[in-house]
Formats: sequence, structure tokens, C-alpha cells
Amino acid sequence: MSTRDTLLARLRDNFDWVLFVTASVLAMVGVINLYSATSVAKAPLNEVYLQQIYWLVGGGILSGFVAAVDYRHYERYGYIAYGVGLVTLVLVFILGREVNGSSRWIYLGPIGFQPSEFMKLFLVLALAKYVNADARSEGRTLKDLAAPAFIAALPAALVVLQPDLGTALILGLIFISILAMLRIQRRTLGHLAVLVAIAVPAFMSFGMLGFQQKRIEAWLNPDRDIGGMNWDPHHSRIAIGAGKTWGAGFMQGTQNQFHFLHEQHSDFPFPVFAEDWGFAGALSLLFIYVLLVLWSIHIAASAKDRFGAALAIGAGSLIFWHAIFNLGMVTGLLPIVGVTLPLFSYGGSSGLTVMLAIALLMNVSMRRSSLSTIAFSSR
Amino acid sequence: MSVLVPRSDVAEFRKRYKWMSLFVLSLFGAVAARLFQLQILNGDDYAAMAHENIIRKVTIQTARGIVRDSQGKILASSRTSYDVHVVPIDVLPSSVPEARLPKRLRGAPDSLPKVAEVLRVTPDEREKLIIKIREVCATYDPQARTSPCTRQMLVREDVSRDIITELEQHRDELTGVRVVATPIRFYPYKHLASHLLGYISELDVDALAKYRPDGYESLSGEERERLNPLGYDRRDRWGAGGVERTWESHLRGKRGWEKRLVDAWGKDRTGPAADRLLDPPSKQEPISGRNLRLSVDIELTQAIEKAMFPYRSGAVVVTETQTGRLLALYSKPNFDPNDLSGGGGRAKAREAFTRLYADPYRPMLDKTMSGAYPPGSTFKPFSALAALESHSVNPEATQRCDGFIRYGNKSRPLRCTHVHGAVNMRAAIAQSCNIFFFKLAEATTLDPIAKVASAFGLGQRSGLSINPEAGGRMPSRAWYTQHYGANYFNKGFTLNAAIGQGDVTVTPLQLAMAYAAVANGGRLYEPQAVVAIETSDGVPMQEFEPRLKNSVAIQPEHLQRVHDAMRDVLNSDEGTANALHDRSLDVAGKTGTAQPGVHPSPNEKPEIQWFRSRNHAWFAAFYPSHTPEISVVVLVEHGESGPQHAAPVAMQVIREYQRLKVTRASKAKP
Repeated sequence: MSTRDTLLARLRDNFDWVLFVTASVLAMVGVINLYSATSVAKAPLNEVYLQQIYWLVGGGILSGFVAAVDYRHYERYGYIAYGVGLVTLVLVFILGREVNGSSRWIYLGPIGFQPSEFMKLFLVLALAKYVNADARSEGRTLKDLAAPAFIAALPAALVVLQPDLGTALILGLIFISILAMLRIQRRTLGHLAVLVAIAVPAFMSFGMLGFQQKRIEAWLNPDRDIGGMNWDPHHSRIAIGAGKTWGAGFMQGTQNQFHFLHEQHSDFPFPVFAEDWGFAGALSLLFIYVLLVLWSIHIAASAKDRFGAALAIGAGSLIFWHAIFNLGMVTGLLPIVGVTLPLFSYGGSSGLTVMLAIALLMNVSMRRSSLSTIAFSSR
Repeated sequence: MSVLVPRSDVAEFRKRYKWMSLFVLSLFGAVAARLFQLQILNGDDYAAMAHENIIRKVTIQTARGIVRDSQGKILASSRTSYDVHVVPIDVLPSSVPEARLPKRLRGAPDSLPKVAEVLRVTPDEREKLIIKIREVCATYDPQARTSPCTRQMLVREDVSRDIITELEQHRDELTGVRVVATPIRFYPYKHLASHLLGYISELDVDALAKYRPDGYESLSGEERERLNPLGYDRRDRWGAGGVERTWESHLRGKRGWEKRLVDAWGKDRTGPAADRLLDPPSKQEPISGRNLRLSVDIELTQAIEKAMFPYRSGAVVVTETQTGRLLALYSKPNFDPNDLSGGGGRAKAREAFTRLYADPYRPMLDKTMSGAYPPGSTFKPFSALAALESHSVNPEATQRCDGFIRYGNKSRPLRCTHVHGAVNMRAAIAQSCNIFFFKLAEATTLDPIAKVASAFGLGQRSGLSINPEAGGRMPSRAWYTQHYGANYFNKGFTLNAAIGQGDVTVTPLQLAMAYAAVANGGRLYEPQAVVAIETSDGVPMQEFEPRLKNSVAIQPEHLQRVHDAMRDVLNSDEGTANALHDRSLDVAGKTGTAQPGVHPSPNEKPEIQWFRSRNHAWFAAFYPSHTPEISVVVLVEHGESGPQHAAPVAMQVIREYQRLKVTRASKAKP
């Protein structure tokens, strides 16, 4: 059996069509929505839907390669990738360019990327590798959790310093999501609860910067400072609500067409969609996200090893938390944290990260059957 | 051999997936519930808010009505005033630190020096302006949505057209300059008829509190309409005196509005999509102010101004005897309503008000109706009529005038102007003999005199409420009893009243209406200044008929006697105004030289004290004496002598009236 034959066979027999179709539908709807969102914007913003397509094509090809190589090869390079990620995060402070008051970008010639986005994937890899090696029959204690916590805390701290609270939050939540797979002693859970109960308010009162606190304040008082801090949340809610049941129709949402929505291509594409397509459209979109996330749990459940399962949970949680935080903030359930909506928001680094996450899911999914194992190991 | 590590045990995770799925579903469920709340439960509210976001009601301005004189000459209209504003950050980018300066302004030169040059701003003012701009721009924050540094700032009001043209020419060098056109009231005749026309000024705090109380913005449309039917807004101007004030509701008009689609950047959106989004009614047409046609003849007023030139203070009223319409209403000193109405800017108005209110000759007082003065001898015809009506005096019988008379045990005799010798009533009026009228008063008593004078409207408000009207006073026995008690009255009051002194005071307007009634056979009219309301296109909407106030029952032969006597004032060699006799002008009148009755305050400047100690000079007349058309009253306040100071003014006015009548008639013929 040639490798080529087995690859094709695996593709034919094990290709995860559910994952592929859900992700593709999401990406296509996302592009269409970007078109509507930026239709009245000035150049070059009005062409981001084209760039999004380029990114999707490029990212799709890259994802194909990432999915093709057995994920267990990645296990070996888990910590190396993580290390490279940390280095780029440090480089941000040295080479980074400041945009809107925080340094998140590194430029390689004309191409800029956000290391913090890719760090999310590297963290998933590193944690999955750790979890893979750390099989236990009894519950873990606080001491046992120190090492993975350290793995997560290091990049999170660097990201907080940028400052980029949203990404740090996602890193932390990915860590918690993978942690949730593990058996932990009841007592330790209690300790963790106490720790969180102390750490979160402490951070909120001492660790947060002025503008971050202002966002929280604005969220708690949604009717105040509508001209300033609450402009985006306020008009986002109006746009969503104005969509009512069936929406205004494609490119008919007045709040976007009349420039009341800002950042409609990055953090606020959902209000545009909800105003255009109403509750019916918004709920359908929600359903696709639910399907994608539940399916990634399904992939984890059918993974053949701990690494694959942790990888799937990590990648799935990345998509899940992004979606929940973005939808939460645009609907006013959560304060504004700059978190993108997976495959809906425009953004090279974040879009690519989500596509690679889906590639990892596909990778794990394609290798759950015995065929792959036999084929690969018999080479 | 396999390069991969052996598979690890996934059993540890098995139990978690169910809980994870549930967790995922519950969080997405929460988002779905929120969407249900926003889009289904509150969807209509949000749709309304979304609609409100994109709709702006744009005010459509309306023009204040034009005021014209009887000949159609414009007395008050509106013109455009150009106010120059600057955007601080644009004219003085150097006032903002480089790092905080918006990109488009990096390296931009300051245009302020050039702006100051074109606007003819003095170096002092320029420095002040720069300091002010530096102050507001020092804290400029590019993140903030609004800042005084980016908000336009008023630099010059009501700039001349030349400067506007110059601004246009140098537009490229003058970044950040904004010219705003606003309507300003314009009075082409400036000081002339200023008291009659009045002026307009910004609504004061009290008026705003009345029309726009707290919470006004949140009231319903109907309630706002009820509370503020004319739609007054902050910084609006309204009529603050004269015709402008009394006819405000007609002159003002009403603003309209139009719904426009506006995006968040404040830009208008049009096109078919826009029309679809606009809900009816989309427009409320403005109602333009009504035009007023006055009875006043501004050319006659011009002649009055010229005739009054030698005097500091006074009033002239000219009225039609057959209608009560006013041909002139003139008070001196007057003011330029342009200065008070915003022409030339707010600072100029403030300065003008301060100056006008400090003026001892009281330019802001309309002396034709707001001031009451003792009429002096101009009152005598009414005393004579009262005596004739009550048959208390034989008009042909003569009385002896020795120049003084003693009454009772008073040490000081009452004096006459001259030693007139034997005079009958006709001669007594013509020569203004006080002694005759003292005796007449003694015989007639006070109440019949008061009754006749009151019937002619003396001491009573005329009803022309253009400016606050002084009532004047015609005392009777009852009045004295009421004010001073039963035992206070003595004959002296009657004697004083008969010669228009003592407690008798009248306004020039009252006297003019009374003389018109004497001239026309006893018909006392209500004075009228506005004869018609017209639409902005000049179509008459409402014309006002003369309003008869009172028909005084006087026997014609009694009036005839008084007329004859008043003709003698000019025609007889002994008449007090004989010096002004003019064959071509058939005038009947009566001079008056009245003691002011009020002593000047010792706190005043000496020249003002001297001025106030002098007598008032009066002349009241009608013309032509046989077929009266107009009555004229001239008061030269503290002018000293009726015959010498007031009568010449009246004669000049009458002469001008006649001249205008003839020239207009000859023009109208071909």
C-alpha cells in the first residue's frame, strides 16, 4: 500500500463532512455578512470581504496540510511550538507596533500578525501534550495542577502586559476547559473556587487599567455615556433589536448602513447580521456554532488517545469561548472585551487561528478509526 | 516501525463530555434567550430607536414680517448678517502638542494671523483670542468625541460684505474659518420712528421659563404647541418694544420642519431608499410672518426730526382728525433700533443699552404716550367748552386783567403772563389770559371742567398699547376727596386745573386725540398705528377700520367759538403765536407754557438741573382750521416757551404735511 493510496482512502472514508460543512457554511455566511457590513465603509475597509476570501483560501490550504499530518507528530513538538510562541510574545514588546494603545502586532515586512492569536493554538498543543503524559487514576490535587497552570499563566501574563485582556481571558478559559477533562479531587475544586473568588475581584480592582475599568463601568450602566464608552454596545443592541423577527434584509440594516455601528468588520459583525436577518437568521447562526462546538466535543469523545482528545477540547473551546464572548458582548450580556467571532470577524491572525483549530479538529476526527492507525503504523 | 508513541488511555475523560455539552448548550441558550428578548420582546422599541437614530427634524426658518409706512416704504425688514466663526484647532494647530494633533493638521501653518488680518482684528484682541484658543486646546484629547478645541468659536458678528468677499478670496489660506449667515432685523430709517417700531431682542430668562419650562423637550407635540404656540427657542429674538412687541404674534411667523435621513456622521442621505425610510408626515411648512401696514408717514417723521433738531427732548404727534390714525409718533431723543436688535453684534447691543439707559434725557421713554406732562394753556379750550356748556360764563362779557389776581387771604397773588386789560373769552384764548380763566373756573367749578376734559379723553389711556401708556390725570372733586380727604379741597385747585396746571397731566397722544375731536365736532377716536395686516406676498388679510371711542355732546356753536379763538392765536395781532401767522396755512391752535411741577433733584449735574427747571413748551393745533384733516401736538420738554419753541415746530410739520400732500397728489395725477 502506498502512502498516497492510504491518504486518499483515509480522506474518502474518514473525512469529517459535518465539521467541514459547518465550518464552510460559517465562513461563507461570514464573507457575505462582511460584504454587507463594510458596503458603506470607505476604502480600503470596503474590500475586506475580498481579503477575507484570500485568507480563507490561503488558510484553507494551510489547514489541509495541518490536517493531513497525523496529529501525534505534533505531540512531540508541543513544547517547542509553545516556546516559539512565548518568544514571539516577548518580541512584541521589542518589535511590536502600537495600535490603539496596545502592542499586539509584529511586522515581517508588509505582513503583520498577532502572536497572541497563534499562542492560543500553541497553548492547546502544550497543554494537550502535558495532559497526554499525565494520566492518573485518582483525582489531582492543587499541587498536581501547578505545572499546567504555569504553562497557561506564562503566555497569559505576557498578553495582559500588552495589554490585551480579551486574549488573556481566552487563554485562561482554554486552560480551564482542558482542566475540566481531568479528574480533580473534590477538595481541590473547593480550593480552586476560593482562589477564583479572591483572585478575580482582586484583579478587577488592582490589576485592570483605566480603560478596562471604564468598560466594566459602562457595561454596568448601559444608559450612561452613550456618546462615548457605551456607543458601541448601545448601538449594537439597537441594531440587533431592530432586526426583529425576520430582519431588514441583506444590506438593508439601517444602523450599519448609516454608520452607527463601528468595528463592524472586526468585533461587531454580528449586529450587522442580526439586523439584516432578524431573530430567524441570528438563531440559525447560533445553531451552526452550537453544532460546531458540540461536534468538537464529539470528536474529542471518539479520539483514540488523550492527546487527541485534549487537542479537540482545546480547539473546540477556543471556538466556543470566542463565540460566547463575542455574542455576549454585542448583546450586552458581557462587558466589551475585544474578542472576535470565529469565521465571522475579519482578521488574518484570528481567522487563521480558527481555521487551524478546525484543521486540528479535522485531524483528530480523521484518525479516530482503526484504519488510520493501522495504515500509519505499518508504514 | 512506528514513529508514534503508544496510545494513552482516554478513560479518564469519558464522563466529562456529557457535562461539557450541557454547559455549551446552556451558554448558547442564554445568548438565544437574550436575542429573543432583544429582537422579539423588545424588537419594536429597538426598531423605534433605530429609526430615531437616522431621522433628524431640520428646522425650516421663517422670515419675520415686514413693516411698511402709509406710502409703502419699508420701516422694518430682515437682512442677512454674516457671523465669522473659527475652529480653534484648525486656525491654530500649534496650540495642540504635535503628538496629539490629528494627522491632517501635522505641519499645517497657523491661519489665525491671516484671519485676524482679514477681519481687522486689533493686535490686543488677537492676543486675547490666541490666549483663549491655547486655553481650550491645551487639554485637547483626540480620543474625545467633542472638545471646545474642535467646536467653532464666534469671532466677529455681522461682518461687512467686503470682508466676506475677502474671506472668499483667501479661502485657501484661511483653514478653519466658518461664515454663518443669520437673519437680522433691519430698520432702514434708523432713529426715525424708533419708539413706534420698537426693536427685537433675545428672549430673557423669564420668558424662556414661561415658554420652555423644565422638561419641555419631553412633552408631547400638542402640549408644546399649547405652551409655546409661536415655537420660541433659546437664543431666539422677539419684539421688545413698540409695534415689534405688540404685533409679535403676527410678525413672527412660525418655523416649519422637515424630516431628513441623517447618518451617524451627520451627513444627509437621499435617494429612493431614503424615501422609503421616511415616515409621514415628513414636512411641516413654515408660516411666514405677516406684514404690517402702518398709518405713519415716514417722510413726515423725517420733517419732524428736522424741525425738532434744536431741542434735546420732546414729543410730536400727528393724527388724522377724521379717523384717529396716526401720521407721526415721534419722541426725542430716540435710538437706533438696529443697534439693539443684534445688527453689529451682541456687544454693540449691550453697549447701546447701557448708554441709552444712562442718558438723562431718557431716550428709551416714549414721550408721546409713556410720559404725562401738565398741559398748561393747551388745556384752556376745554375749560372754555366746559364753561360754555354749563352756561356759567357769557363768552362775550369781558373780564379785566391787571396782570395779577388775589384770592382769599393768600399773601402771594396769582400772576398772568401779561397785563391783558379787558378780554372776552375769544381774546382770552387767543392771548392766553390766565386771569380770565381763573374767573371762568370760579364760575364753572371743577367738576364740569373735569367732565368735559375727560370726555375728550384727557387723563385717560387712549388704547394705543404700542408702548406702556401713562394715564395722565384729570382730577375732580371726588379725586381730591379720595386722595386727600374731604376737607383738603380748595378753590385754588380749580383755578390751576382750568389753566392745565396743578394736578392735571396729559400725554401728548391724549392731547392730539382730544384736539382732533375738538376739530371734528366732538368725535374722539382711538388712535391707530397699524391699518392693515398683509400676507408676506402683500395681499391684505385684515384691514382695521377707525374706532370711535366717544362722541362728545357739545353744541356746535360752542365748538365754533373755540375754533374761532384758536384761529386768532395765529391770526389776531394779539394772538400768542401771531409771529408764526402764515397766510397760506389755515391753522388753528393753542400755545402752552407749562410749569413742570416737579423740581429737579439736586444730585443731578448742573446743566441737567437747569434743563429740568425750565417750563414745558406746548403747541396743539389742527389744520386746515375750516376743514380739519390733521391735529398736531408738539411738546418740547423743558423747552421754555410754547409760542417761541413748540409752535414753530408744529408750523413746520404742518407745512411739510401740506407739501407732501400736494406733491403726492400731483404725482398721482398723470
